[in-house]
Amino acid sequence: MLKKRVISFLVLVTAILLLSVPGFLWRPQQVTSVRATYRSAMAPVFLVPGSSATQNRFNELVTELNHETTTKHSLLRVEVMTNGQIQYTGSITRKDTQPIIVVGFQNHHDGYETIKKQAVWFNLAFRQLQKTYHFNHFSAMGHSNGGLVLTLFLEHSLPKETYAERLMTIGTPFNLEESNPDVDTPLFKELSADRKRLPRSLTVYSIAGSEGYAGDGIVPFDSVNRGKLIFQGNVRHFTQMTITGANANHADLPENQQIVALIRSDLLT
Amino acid sequence: MEQETGWLGCHLIQLDVTFRQNSQIKAVNQAFHLAFPVVLVGTLADMIRQTWLASTGYYFQTLHVGDWLMQRAILKHYLSLLSAGTLGLVAMVMAFAVSYYLVAPVAKRTTDRLMVGVVAVTGLKFFNVDRLTLLNGQSVQWLSNNLGISGILVGILIGLVVGDGYRWGIQHWLLAEERLGQTMTITSIWLLVLAAGGLAWTLTQKGSLNATFLSLARWPFPLPHHLPGLLGFSLLTGLCQWLGILGPVASVGGQSVEAMQNLTSVLTHAGWQVPHPITIHTVVDVYTNFGGPGMVLGLLLAIYLGHSNGAQRRVGAACLLPTLGNFNAPLMIGLPVVLSPILGIPFLVTPVVCSLLSWTCLQLHWVPAVAYPIANGTPGILQGFLGTGGNLAALALAGIELLISVLIYYPFVKWARLAGEVAHHAEKTSH
Repeated sequence: MLKKRVISFLVLVTAILLLSVPGFLWRPQQVTSVRATYRSAMAPVFLVPGSSATQNRFNELVTELNHETTTKHSLLRVEVMTNGQIQYTGSITRKDTQPIIVVGFQNHHDGYETIKKQAVWFNLAFRQLQKTYHFNHFSAMGHSNGGLVLTLFLEHSLPKETYAERLMTIGTPFNLEESNPDVDTPLFKELSADRKRLPRSLTVYSIAGSEGYAGDGIVPFDSVNRGKLIFQGNVRHFTQMTITGANANHADLPENQQIVALIRSDLLT
Repeated sequence: MEQETGWLGCHLIQLDVTFRQNSQIKAVNQAFHLAFPVVLVGTLADMIRQTWLASTGYYFQTLHVGDWLMQRAILKHYLSLLSAGTLGLVAMVMAFAVSYYLVAPVAKRTTDRLMVGVVAVTGLKFFNVDRLTLLNGQSVQWLSNNLGISGILVGILIGLVVGDGYRWGIQHWLLAEERLGQTMTITSIWLLVLAAGGLAWTLTQKGSLNATFLSLARWPFPLPHHLPGLLGFSLLTGLCQWLGILGPVASVGGQSVEAMQNLTSVLTHAGWQVPHPITIHTVVDVYTNFGGPGMVLGLLLAIYLGHSNGAQRRVGAACLLPTLGNFNAPLMIGLPVVLSPILGIPFLVTPVVCSLLSWTCLQLHWVPAVAYPIANGTPGILQGFLGTGGNLAALALAGIELLISVLIYYPFVKWARLAGEVAHHAEKTSH
């Protein structure tokens, strides 16, 4: 009887030890695994305005987003100077896990070369903010050329172990103001050439405004539609939408009520 | 017997025997016996799903199950269905069985016995209605989560109330030869009373009966990070489990803000700097849940090491796999530990002693605090080791905690066996 008890007990102890073996063998890979699945509590939403607009471009939009909601998002405005210096206004409240960070640029002129520089400046601001707030995942919205800045950043400069979750581009001209579908601008060629470097887990919404049948008054439909040639098949989900009705022209798009609702439901939840 | 068991053991055995001979407790224990296979199958399905097939599972991560297992999604759906259909309805099984066994000695007709079970199950549902669907005039839905293992206590209580009431009715009213009319009358009265009770509860209370029990248990200790709070939380969690609320009471620890801040700190700073070394997760969850809440892995080891009987060993063998994966429900129902005075003592005391030890070791910096997330089903003894990124002192502490739990459970297993034998003998002689 005693022998049977000892054997049963030893079998149980052996079972515990055997089940522990995979844990011991896996231990050296644990840090890599933890880092791969780790998501910081904070996941900011970056907003990047288009050309000719400053970091104050989205003040009204953020007020609107915080209106009639229990979850208030704090607003931090960042301006990147041409010499790489970064200036901050506003703040992120302590318990806000989804603050809105607007990144504007001292040089906010239009043009391919400026957009490329803005992508580099955005990268500077992003890394500085990441160092301060220790986030490793985020979402972003870019209006007009702001969407190009974000796309260039995602293709070329996304830091390691940083996860882009959702990107919303509003009236973004992926082929600049070119309305001829047979002409590819250098910017589109660059975005298209590096499209495989986009994060595979990204969800993208591309929204076009409509004023008439050719575009939103500034950006031609064909240029916005080029987004699918960049994103489709290279990210997890790509959705394209066209907004019509009041406030559907290029400049008014960020305040369009339908777009505000889309930002609320697709970017902030 | 006092020479064999000591004064304490002798008194506990007497208490346990008296307790078991009570008709209410007898009905509850018979119901546990009936529910045990259902709980075991459901728990095994749930354990495999959570530990082998989910990305947060121990075997999934350590054996890279995702890389080699085919049809994982279908298998997951199958096991989800299996566990939802079994574990998800345990409270209903308990309500039915308790009332059935309570009425069985006085009701000669099977119809009466079954009818009381049906009334108890219906009554349980009346108290678990989705209040918004009822009050908004929508099609009424039920709070299905409360009908599972976390609702066992409520199931038992409804079963007892309905069973006792029905029994009283049978003893006083059902004396005539023609019984159909009387059965219908007593059943209808009970259904009307229970529905009125359910409605009154729904109108006056925002949470379900189950949620109220849980909130009462947690109310005195909202997120405690000081020693009395941690020990009190540990004790109350154990008490809830002992009463039959087997749902996840303390498992929120790993997902708390503090746990997230600890992990962030470890991943973003050099060295092992943890801003919140003393939390429910670092002290209670990690070091007092081997085999599930109550350190029941210690109980299982004590059953095999000590003077247990055949029945205890058979239950232990059946519960081996789930207990090794920290799923304690089968052992709690199978022995049972739930509502057992003798096994209840070590079940409550062991986590408190272990919490005290782990708190001391953390305070004195003998072991670092856990910061890495711990996968579901990680063997208890490895939780501290993996949670600290491979710290050997944490592994040694876990070994000591397990040894202490076995030592605490050891005499109680023997006394539980003796109490069972005495109760069995007394029952035989009374027949």
